[in-house]
Amino acid sequence: MLTRVAAGGLMLSSLFLSACSDEPKVEEKAAPYEAAQARDVISHYADLALAGYSDALAQARELQTTINTLLDSPNEENLAAARAAWRDARVPYMQTEVFRFGNSVVDEWEGQVNAWPLDEGLIDYVDDSYQAVMGNPGARANIIASESLTIGEERLDLTDLNADLLASLNELGGSEANVATGYHAIEFLLWGQDLNGTEAGAGERPATDFALGEEATGGNNERRRAYLQVVTDLLISDLETMVAVWQPEQENYRAELLADTPENGLRKMLFGMGSLSLGELAGERMKVALAAHSPEDEHDCFSDNTHFSHFYNGKGIQNVYLGEYQQVNGETLSGPSLSDLVAANDPAVDSQLKQAFEASEAALQALVDSANTGVHFDQLIAPGNAQGAATVNAAIDSLVTQTTGIEKAALVLNIQALNPDTADHEF
Amino acid sequence: MRSAIVLGCVVLLAACSNPRQEVTSQLAQQVLLPAHQQWHDRNAALVQAVKGFCEGDAERASVAQAFMASQQGWSYLQPLMVGPLSEGNRSWQVQFYPDKRNMVAQQAEALLDSHDPLTQQALDGASVVVQGLTAFEYVLFDDKVDLQADKARYCPMLMGIAHHQQGLSGEVMALWEEAGGMLAQLTDFPNDRYASAEEALGGVLRVQITGVDVLKKKLGTPMGRLNQGVTQPYQAEAWRSRQSVASLQASLAGAQAVWERVRSLVSDGELAGKIDQAYAETRDKLEALPAPLFELVQDPANQPLLQDLYRSLDTLETLQQAELASDLGIQIGFNANDGD
Repeated sequence: MLTRVAAGGLMLSSLFLSACSDEPKVEEKAAPYEAAQARDVISHYADLALAGYSDALAQARELQTTINTLLDSPNEENLAAARAAWRDARVPYMQTEVFRFGNSVVDEWEGQVNAWPLDEGLIDYVDDSYQAVMGNPGARANIIASESLTIGEERLDLTDLNADLLASLNELGGSEANVATGYHAIEFLLWGQDLNGTEAGAGERPATDFALGEEATGGNNERRRAYLQVVTDLLISDLETMVAVWQPEQENYRAELLADTPENGLRKMLFGMGSLSLGELAGERMKVALAAHSPEDEHDCFSDNTHFSHFYNGKGIQNVYLGEYQQVNGETLSGPSLSDLVAANDPAVDSQLKQAFEASEAALQALVDSANTGVHFDQLIAPGNAQGAATVNAAIDSLVTQTTGIEKAALVLNIQALNPDTADHEF
Repeated sequence: MRSAIVLGCVVLLAACSNPRQEVTSQLAQQVLLPAHQQWHDRNAALVQAVKGFCEGDAERASVAQAFMASQQGWSYLQPLMVGPLSEGNRSWQVQFYPDKRNMVAQQAEALLDSHDPLTQQALDGASVVVQGLTAFEYVLFDDKVDLQADKARYCPMLMGIAHHQQGLSGEVMALWEEAGGMLAQLTDFPNDRYASAEEALGGVLRVQITGVDVLKKKLGTPMGRLNQGVTQPYQAEAWRSRQSVASLQASLAGAQAVWERVRSLVSDGELAGKIDQAYAETRDKLEALPAPLFELVQDPANQPLLQDLYRSLDTLETLQQAELASDLGIQIGFNANDGD
């Protein structure tokens, strides 16, 4: 919840602007698009989702292979390979997040896959300085070290670390910071806590935390190994579920979306873009961390991969507008787009929004460039780092501007109520 | 909808003045500016109260009273927050909420450990987390702080925050009142900010409507609506001072003050009546709450009472976000609450 971020400007319908002219002009505006044309755009949107989740699934399988190798031979080289595979797996996944807002089927599924920020003390050992969410009963549960767990009056048996058990521990005790599964749980297992605060450096878990026998570190290594294997398997099965949701010619969510009115489909596309752009990426993922100088609120806080997460989130937003997606194999999928519909009605609004996308991509690229010189997101937000704050603020501002452009595009398509949750009310 | 537009245009034509411009101007001069002035005055009183307490002339209770007045002045402003206060990171400096990880306590204590005594310069250069009312509330109300016994450590922080708030509200007032400032931008069109009175009114209403949405979240989150029904008392606003309900009341009053100026523009009389009623019901239910929200959410017996209040806020929000926005022809765009 953010009461803190100022939203962009407001576009007022022009209906009343001519109120004092000679003639009251009340005319039915021509529909801004043909229904069939809009359906093609929505169908291609579903194709983009299918391609994105399919890539995410393929990359997760690559990750699984490297994790199996790590568990077979727990050495630093294999750990580095698994970490690299995790980073690669994020590239397509972060581009799919734009599908989450607006499509409740994705939003409801997402918690088990990408919930964040987490109280990692739920999963494994943490440093004494670790600060959890106030009132979270699971904040130091350490599932890996415990064969049972008591929350309130309930006693949970943790002996067998299986997928159902771990999934059931998400939001344990009602706390959203209790995240037992998904990308960030795997990230924590591969990197460990980042104890460098806003200084240089990511998590430094040694490969020997997965070793058995004399060289083993960390303790409870059999359980840590089992945990890593189980959450990776679960990630794959969750991504398989989401790929199925977007397959054509099945009885699935995609079919429902295509059977709905074109206006509702376009609304969902635009709502996903604007929500990720403003409230989530600019707000939760950047502004909160920057204003509070809080590395705990950094998105990929264990791996320091946040710059790429943000960059590919931004890419996903423009993918939906442009009807494009560059697949992991290098080929670009392109087709009918929102941009086509907007440009046919108001080329200026379309070109302004495209410019806003270019500007935000450049601003997010600056986060990547900074990381490439060794200054990562958690250093940019350090107290007293004026240059870092300026870099992050420029990215935030570019996303705010971009969101205003998305609102204008929506108005061109006659969409006034953007939130699908409130759009169903009678007008 | 179509007949409403025709009617609206006919009414406008008859007078051939611009009622939207009049309403916008009234809102600016009679609601928005006075609300900012009230907040600024209360911050000045907060400085005086801290001075009295820290110099030994007054009791802690007088600081608590002044804090609550500042907090409520700020709450009243939130649904009215267009222009300078919503820009340049200023609102973040007033309050840090929600604070799930208790960063206020961590950062306040760390700053005090590293600066003995704390200087104004150090506070003004620190994180927003320690510059605002939430950190002030921590020092004044947290169980772990023994303020009476440790005035030497904590008084510079109280004084620093009070001065920081006064400086901030003074800066915002200047940006409202200067030539070509916010007040002028809400009364004289076109200008750099708004092309027309219609656009300005839209800007004010959008913030007000979002403000009611925020109230729902401020009530719903501690009730556990986002957490499978598990209540989250530490996510109640101003939980340390038990001021959550007073804050909600002040914000609702601010939103209502805007609504009362806008009512004359609504073409659908029945809708106006429904919105009036929704404000009255929500206000009555808030007044009837028997204890602070921090305590109420911890007893399951209070759930029906809180659910009932939540439903009233939900009705009010829907009436404004869907029906009022549609009646006035306003697009409700994205706000910071979309997303998680």
